[in-house]
This record gives sequence, structure tokens and C-alpha cells, in this order.
Amino acid sequence: MISSRNIGMVAAAATLLAAAPLSAIFQGWTWLIESIIAVAVVAGVAALTRLARAPLWGQVLGMLAGLMLALTWLFPSGQELFAILPTPGTFAYFGDLLAGSMQDMRSYGVEVPDTDPLLFIAVLGVGAVAVLVDVLAVGLRRPALAGLPMLAIYSVPVAVYVDSVPAVPFVVGAAGYLWLLVTDNVDRVRRFGRRFTGDGRDVDVWEASPLASAGRRLAAVGVALAVMLPLAVPGMTGGLLDSLSQGPGNGTGNGSGSGGTSGRIDLFASLAGQLNQSQVADLVKVKTSEQSPFYLRYAVADELRPTGFQARNPSGRSVNKDLPNPADRAGPGVQQATYQATVEVTKSLSMSLMPVYAEPTRADDLSDNWLYDANQQVVFSNRENSRGRKYSFDYVRSTFTQDALRAAKPLPTEHPVRRQMTATPGPVSEVEELVKGLIQGKRTDYDKVLAIYRHFSADNGFSYRLSTESGSSGQDIVNFLTNKVGYCQQYAAAMAWLVRSAGIPARVAFGFTNGSKRDGDTFTLTNLNLHAWTEVYFDGAGWVPFDATPAYGVPGSTRSAWAPDTDAPEAPSPNSSATSTPTDPGASTGPEGPDNSDRDTDDGLSLGGTTPNEQPPVWPWWAAGLVALLVLLAVPALRRMALRRRRSGRAASVAMASATVDGGSEPGARPVVVTADANRARADAHAAWAELLDTLVDFRVPVDPTETPRATADRLVRDALDDDDAIGSARLLGRAEERARYARDPLTGERLLPALRAVRAALATRADRRTRLLAAVLPPSVLLRWRTTMADRSSRMVALTGQARYRLLRWNPRRLLADRAAR
Amino acid sequence: MTQQTWDEVGGLLPHDEFRAASEAIVANIEQVIEGKTATVRLALAVLLAEGHLLIEDVPGVGKTKLAKALARSIDCTVRRIQFTPDLLPSDVTGVSVYNQETHDFEFRPGAVFANLVVGDEINRASPKTQSALLECMEERQVTVDGVTYQLQTPFMVIATQNPIEMEGTYPLPEAQRDRFTARIAMGYPDSNAELAMLDGHGATDPLHELRAVSDAAIVRQLIATVRQVHVADAVKQYAIDLVTATREAPDLRLGASPRATLQLLRTARAVAALEGRDYVLPDDLQALAVPVLAHRIIPTADAQLARRTTDAIVSELVHRLPLPHDRQRNPYDTRPPATGNGRAPYEPRRP
Repeated sequence: MISSRNIGMVAAAATLLAAAPLSAIFQGWTWLIESIIAVAVVAGVAALTRLARAPLWGQVLGMLAGLMLALTWLFPSGQELFAILPTPGTFAYFGDLLAGSMQDMRSYGVEVPDTDPLLFIAVLGVGAVAVLVDVLAVGLRRPALAGLPMLAIYSVPVAVYVDSVPAVPFVVGAAGYLWLLVTDNVDRVRRFGRRFTGDGRDVDVWEASPLASAGRRLAAVGVALAVMLPLAVPGMTGGLLDSLSQGPGNGTGNGSGSGGTSGRIDLFASLAGQLNQSQVADLVKVKTSEQSPFYLRYAVADELRPTGFQARNPSGRSVNKDLPNPADRAGPGVQQATYQATVEVTKSLSMSLMPVYAEPTRADDLSDNWLYDANQQVVFSNRENSRGRKYSFDYVRSTFTQDALRAAKPLPTEHPVRRQMTATPGPVSEVEELVKGLIQGKRTDYDKVLAIYRHFSADNGFSYRLSTESGSSGQDIVNFLTNKVGYCQQYAAAMAWLVRSAGIPARVAFGFTNGSKRDGDTFTLTNLNLHAWTEVYFDGAGWVPFDATPAYGVPGSTRSAWAPDTDAPEAPSPNSSATSTPTDPGASTGPEGPDNSDRDTDDGLSLGGTTPNEQPPVWPWWAAGLVALLVLLAVPALRRMALRRRRSGRAASVAMASATVDGGSEPGARPVVVTADANRARADAHAAWAELLDTLVDFRVPVDPTETPRATADRLVRDALDDDDAIGSARLLGRAEERARYARDPLTGERLLPALRAVRAALATRADRRTRLLAAVLPPSVLLRWRTTMADRSSRMVALTGQARYRLLRWNPRRLLADRAAR
Repeated sequence: MTQQTWDEVGGLLPHDEFRAASEAIVANIEQVIEGKTATVRLALAVLLAEGHLLIEDVPGVGKTKLAKALARSIDCTVRRIQFTPDLLPSDVTGVSVYNQETHDFEFRPGAVFANLVVGDEINRASPKTQSALLECMEERQVTVDGVTYQLQTPFMVIATQNPIEMEGTYPLPEAQRDRFTARIAMGYPDSNAELAMLDGHGATDPLHELRAVSDAAIVRQLIATVRQVHVADAVKQYAIDLVTATREAPDLRLGASPRATLQLLRTARAVAALEGRDYVLPDDLQALAVPVLAHRIIPTADAQLARRTTDAIVSELVHRLPLPHDRQRNPYDTRPPATGNGRAPYEPRRP
């Protein structure tokens, strides 16, 4: 009874731990408090019903009723009896909450605020899981199955986050699951009665079960397999975001925020990664009715942190709802025209954002899961990704005259856009000085922006190079402004920073240029066409794009009338855009337009300079691998040869040394020589004997460590040798070793080396071909010795860890508790 | 009676003379005991190892004959005790009797006052009487009425006994069994030897024609020579390993004593010397393990129920115990030598 109550409590706690992944979805923690209440009610009712010895179905009914009461109390509709007893009105309210939760799920991106419908469905889900887990773990005693409903909770953030899911909540949930399993199994083992070890010793109360180590080992293997196996399976990576996350910057917001940033992408890092890729992949095909469209956008980084520009989590409503119409911003000098575009995303591009032209007014072929952020003007989804999608949309292109922009008044300081979009993370003195110098004497915002924009011209020494370091933090900006070398990422970020420093709202937009592959009205955009530029907010005009990156570095670069190419040989007339027609909205292609577009890609590559297109030949690697393999295979044989040579060297020296002793006739010097000689003779006999034993092992003649040299030699003579010479040799070797080991004086003057050779030859003739081959190529003696060494090491390590574990066990809380209980 | 301390043995014998003397004794005994060279040599080895010999076998295989042949081959004092159930300790050790003439007590030496004592059917006497042998066998002295009398060198008790399952036998006390250096079994002779025996023993007992080929002085010299036989450290270690193994064997209730280690090495020395070596081999220890160790140890009840004899247990131990690794150590190597064979320190087993 006590144990089942214990498991019930653990099941409830495990359910709550398994609900941890929900923290990645909600902004607040209200859901947790309410879930705790619901789960506690369920667990309490379960314990009560079990106390009353209710059958399983009774327990289930009781738990469901308890959950219902808890929900009624937590989400009051105002029609309950005594605040907890539900009435039909309550159920109607619950129906409303459910419907509302559907609505909220669509409209909110992660992280969602604490709305009642979402909280209701979360608490309902957690409570239902608690009921299931309790039934499975306590009622049916199948706690392993309880993992399935727990996993169901975890699948919620998995469905919401497209790219990656925070790992910590999952670890918490998994720990809860393991706790449940362990509790159940401890209970199961205790039911056997007394626990004992293999050597007949009783296990103390505080000690873990002897079975536990096997379980731990199995668990470790299982976890390792679970982690390694997906790595080995191909095809689960390859999308844009996956490859981006391996790019120069880490994809998870540099860890500066709490759990909220983990779902974000570092857009800059992804951009640099794509631009630096050696392979060119078609990402998007776009067909538009516009003659020379501006860039295709997909994301905005508008939050400036010390680490650089970062994307805010977009929020908005479904694309299929009414989109804001930019027509209300039309005014003198602002021309607007509506176009239609069809975008086809290839399989290589997989992200939760959808590239569109600014600013879309209507979208087709997109599900309700795609949301539009009117502020950032991006289309995004928390559930789906863009891979392989085809959709069309209408959009409004606004063009501005310089005068119209000049006429825009500065935003008031308390305007939310200005407050948010001019924030810089602390003043950077170089930037401040530069901006002050640039905007001196400029009266309108547009002139200030234009001055900053012109600063990034070739006249000022700025040039384009892809191989600089990426980054858009304060330090990187200063480096870029000093070095004046960079690519779109630095230009866009630096300009946005400078404009913000001037007190004008600015942000960085990401997208595609028009690329170099144009077929009529269809543009094929590759990863090399990815681009970043600056957008500046003008009151009345909205966000106006400025591309400060040198046009020669960007294939398909486009300039507008209000931001003419500063590097162009002859500046276009400032008033040219005023006369342009709506079909030609003042966008003039850069000096390297579609004509010489074929060269552009190469230019970009050569500017990148680090990515040769040719693949290096593969065969040297194969050859090197083969050689390495052969060397590896030859190592045992080489080791054996080295051993034999060393021992032969000893054995050969014995004859020489004994010869000198025999030749030395002077009696006074003799004893000294003899001792040295005895030691040497002993060592030589040992060497010869060791070599003989290794030879025996090589030729698969058994070697018994309990046998004396004499017995070994006798057995050899009896079993393995039939040649007289070899028999004599084996006996000689045995006698030499025996004397060397046990006698006062070792055997000297015998020729051990030829004896060794004779025995080896005799053994070789008796052995079959396979044994001979193995003895030569992979000598079992060497392999055996290595294996023994490994086994020794590992057993020593096991012994050490065992000792350490035993020492640690003295401080085991279970033991301390047991001691206290015994006292 | 000339008292001689135990350590006053004779001088060393050169190799050839040692060989000649020992071979002569063996050959002499073999005139009586046919086809049992190994047993005879072992008996001689026990004599040279300054030990006592227990010959155990079924009746009629020549136990007493071997004992008497060994005694007669050496020209020294020989006494024989027939152990009967009514034998008294004083019959063994001697007794003080009142001399009417001198009005004083006078010590009448018992049967143990001799170089060779043949104790026939030793396990037929009561344990009380058998205990009389304890002092003289180990300490080579006899104490009667508070007076200690030294025994002579060589001193050897050769006892015969029937297996204890036989009728009318008492088991020897452990203390006394432990004092016997070796227990040997005669075994039945093979058919050729039995045929030769029929031929030789048919008319006369060859024992009567046996002449002494050696004397106590030579035996003392032989003993002194045996003491000089070299025992390498590795062999000593192996002996210790063997004895320790009997103490740790799960089948055994009582393992071998340190005295057993000592006697094992002494006997091994004698065997090595008899084979013409001046160094002991582990082979000697392996061959001697069963005769020297098997009669001292007591198997557990389980092993007894399983009909496992101590001989089988000891020989199995010998076949399982690896030789110690006995490379000569570098004299400059100051590391402590590896202890034992890597097993846990010995913990005495409670019998």
C-alpha cells in the first residue's frame, strides 16, 4: 500500500517534470502553477480511491472527476455551484475556451502570453496525461508505457518550433520518466524479499541493488545509441537552417537571452554561411509582373544588442486575413503600384520565413499557419517551413522622390517606432564622432541618411570583400569602419547603426537580390544572391530601403532614385525619379546589370577568394587510407619481429660472452666476469624461453602457466615434436630456463638461438597453413598480450572506480538515513 | 648413550659419494620391495629431510617390509613398536623404575630411543598412546618425570597404518599427523613385480639376508649435504603459494600448517639431491605436494560427502596454481616485490 502510494506520488511528479517543455512555449509561469494544482488533485484523488480499494475503473473515474473539479475551479465561468461543481454553463464555457485556444494557437507565435484558452488547454492536457500516467504506472504497473503520454507533452514544442527545440526541458522530463522507472523497479526488486549479492552477503538498506549496475550500463548504452543513431542516418540535415547552424555564428542567438531566444536564427551568420558556400544551389524562383523589382525580402533584424543586430520573434495574424494596405501612406512624391508575384521555393531552402516582396497585400496558396507581421513586413510560421512551397501574392511597391522623403518630419521622441528602432547598446565613441561629422549641417532626416549612405562609397575607401570576418556587434562595426572592407552584412549593419546613432529609426533587412539568372520575368535566385540591406523609417513614407553595399560586389544589385549608387561613374540626376512612370518605378539597375550577369557570380566568388570550385581528387585519400590500414595490420607482425630480434640479440650474445669466459685464463679476473656472465646467461635463457613460449602461442600449442619449464619441454617433446634435433633443442631450452630460474649457476655456453630455430621450424612444419600464416601476419602472442594488457587496465580501472564508489557510498544519503533510522 | 645435538650432523659429502651412498641404500631396499622405486626413494628422501614417514595402505602390500628394509639398510639402532590397543605411553617413551640397589629411580628408555623407530599399525593404539610420540617426533627429545632426554641423530619414525575405515583403528590426531613429513601409499605391485616377488619370497624372506650398506655417520653426512641444496626465491614463493592455496581452498576445512611448508621444502631438497641436482625445482614441489600435504588437511563435510579425497583436492590445487613469475630482479630495483599471486591477503580459516 505504501509503495503504491509512493509510486503514485512519483508518477504525479514525473508528469509535472515531463511538462517542463511547455516552459518554452509560454511567456509566464501561470501554466505551471495551475498544472501543479490539477496534477495534485488528480494524484490526491487517485490515492484516496486506492485507499478505499476502488477498482481500477473507479480510480480512473475518480481522477477524471477530480480533474474536472480542478478545471472548474481554475477556470471559473461564474455559473458553478460552490465555485467547484460544474454546471452545463461551465461546459459551454469550456467549449468556448477550446475554440478560443484554436484561435489563439493560430494567432500567437511562440512564446505565447497567458491567455485563458491556452492555459485551459495546457492544464487540461497535463491533467489528462497525469491520469494516464497514474493508470499506467500504478494501476497497470507498466510505467514504461507511461513514457508515451509524457512524450505527447514534449511533442507540443516540437510541433511549434520548426528548427530546434530547447534541450534542457527535455532533460528535465526525461529525468522525471527515469525517476518513475527507477521507483517502480526498486519496488519490484524489494518484493523479492531480502536482497543479496552474488557472494552471499546481504545488501544493506542504503545500498543500491546489485542489479542496478547492470541497469545503469544498459541505460548508458541505450542513451548512447539513441544519440549516435540519428547522426548516422543520412537525410535529416541539409536544409538551409541546418547548414546555417553549422555556419560561422551559432544559430541560437549567442545565448544572450533566456529560453526565448533559443528558437531564433542568427540571420547574419546564416547569410555569411550561405555566401561563403562553394556550391551554388537554386533557392527561389520568382516570377513577377514588375519590370525591375527591388529585393525579395524574408527577414528583418531590428533588435540591436551588444552582440549585434538580431531578429525579434515576429508576431502577427494569418496571411489569409486582411493585410494592412500601404495605400494610406500615399502622398505627394510617393508613388504606389500593385504587382503580382509567384514564388517557388526549392527543396534546398527550409526555414520558417517566406520570402516576399514588400509589401504584400494578399496571399494565395498559403495555409493559415503562415502569419504576417505587419511591423516587420515578413511572412512567418511557427509550425511549417518554406521547403518546396509555391505561392503567389499581390504586393504594393512604393517609390519615393527625394523631396518627398525630405519633407518627412522627424519622428517625435516618444513615438514607439523611434523609441524602439533607434536604440543602440551604449554609445560607441568612434561611431558617435563619425555620425556627428557626417550629419553636421544636414537639416532633414533624409539628408542625414543620405550623408551616411554616401559615406560608404569607394571614394571613402570602402571596398567589397567576402572574406572578412562576419559580425555586427559594436566592436565589429568599428573594425569595419576602420578597415573599410566588408560585404553586405557589414554595410547593412553599419549603416543601420549609424542611422540609429543619428536618431533615425533603422533596421537591417534580409533577402535576395535580383540575381544574375533572369529569364523574362522569372528570376532564379541562388544562395549567392542572399543579401542584406538597410531600411530607414520616414514618417509618412514607412520603411524605405537603402543598400550601401558596393554594387560591384552584389550580382543583381538594384539602386533606387532616393539612394543612388554612390560608386556609379556619373551620378544619376536627382530628379530622374520624379519623371519616371509607375511601370518604371525609379529603380535603376546597377552598373553591372543583367547584361554581364554571367560574370557576376564568378566575381562574387573570386572576391570571396576562398572557395575554389574544383573538387580535389579523392584517390589520394583512398590510397592514404589503404596504406594506413596496411600499416595498422602490419603492426602486430612488426612488433613480433622486433621482439624476436631483441631476444635473438640476447641469445646470440650468450655464446660470445661464454667464449670470453672460457678464453679468460687469468684466475684473478675470473669471478667478476663469471657473475656478470651468470646474470647475462640468465637473462639470455629467459629471453630464449620467452621467445619459445611466444612461438608456442603463435603456433597454437597450448601454454600452461602452472607448468614448470621442464614439464613444458617434456610435453612439447611428447606432443608437438617428432624431430630428434628439435627434441634435443626443446629439452635444452627447458633446462636452460630451469637452471636460470632455480639453480645457483645458470647454464652457459649453450647455443640457444639455433635450438630456438630448430623448435620453431619443427613447429612450423607440423602446423597447418592457416596457423603458419596467422603466426607470420597476426601473431597471436602479440595480440594476446595486448588483449591481456587492455583487460588488466580495464579491470584495474574498474577496481579503482569500485573503491572510489565505495568511499563515496559512505556519504550516501540513503546510508546516512538508514544509520539514523537504526540509531 | 652419547647425546648429540641435532645440529651436529656430519660434514658434506661430495657429489659422487652422495650419489653412491644414496643409490646403495635404494638398491638395497629394492631387493625386498620390487617395482616401487619412487616410493622407496621418497622414503629415503624423508629420512634425509629429517622427517618422519607414515605409510598408509591396506593390509598386506608391504608397509612393514618397507619400513624394516629401510631400517636394516642403515647400520644404526632400530627399535620396533607394535601399536596395540593396550599399549601405554610409557612403553613408548620409557619409564622411571625404582632401583632396589641404588635406592633411586632409574630411567628405562622406551622404544623411541633409537635412530630408526618402526611403529607398526600405529592407528591401532589409542590416541593417548599415540600422543606419547608428539614430543619426540617434533622436538627430538623425551621428557619423563620432568627430565628431558635428547634423542640421537638421525631420528626417524616410520609408522604404518591401515586406512581409518578399517576395523579396529583410531584416527591419528591432527597434531600427530602434522608431525609426519610425508604419507605414502604402497599401492599394489604390478604383475611383473608381483611375479618377481613370488620368485624371490617363495623360499626365504629376503629381509633376513639384507645387509646394512650405510651407517648413521654417513646418513648424517647425507643430511648435511641435503641441507646445502639451493632453493631459489621463486621456489620458496611457490611453496608458500601452494600451502596458502590449501588454506584458501573452499573444499578444505583445515589447510596445511607452516610446519608443512618447512617440511615440504626440506623434502624437496632431499628429492633434488637424490636426483643429483643441487637446486630445487618447482617440479619437486609438485611431485611432493600430495605426499607431504594431503594427510595434514581436512576436507569440508561437503567435500567428504562428495567423496573427494584430500589427495585429489591437493593435486587439483597443484594443477591450478600458476608458477610465480620468477625473473631475477634487478639489484637496483627497490620496489617491493609483488606479494603472493595477486590474491587477497590470507585470512585464517576457522577449522
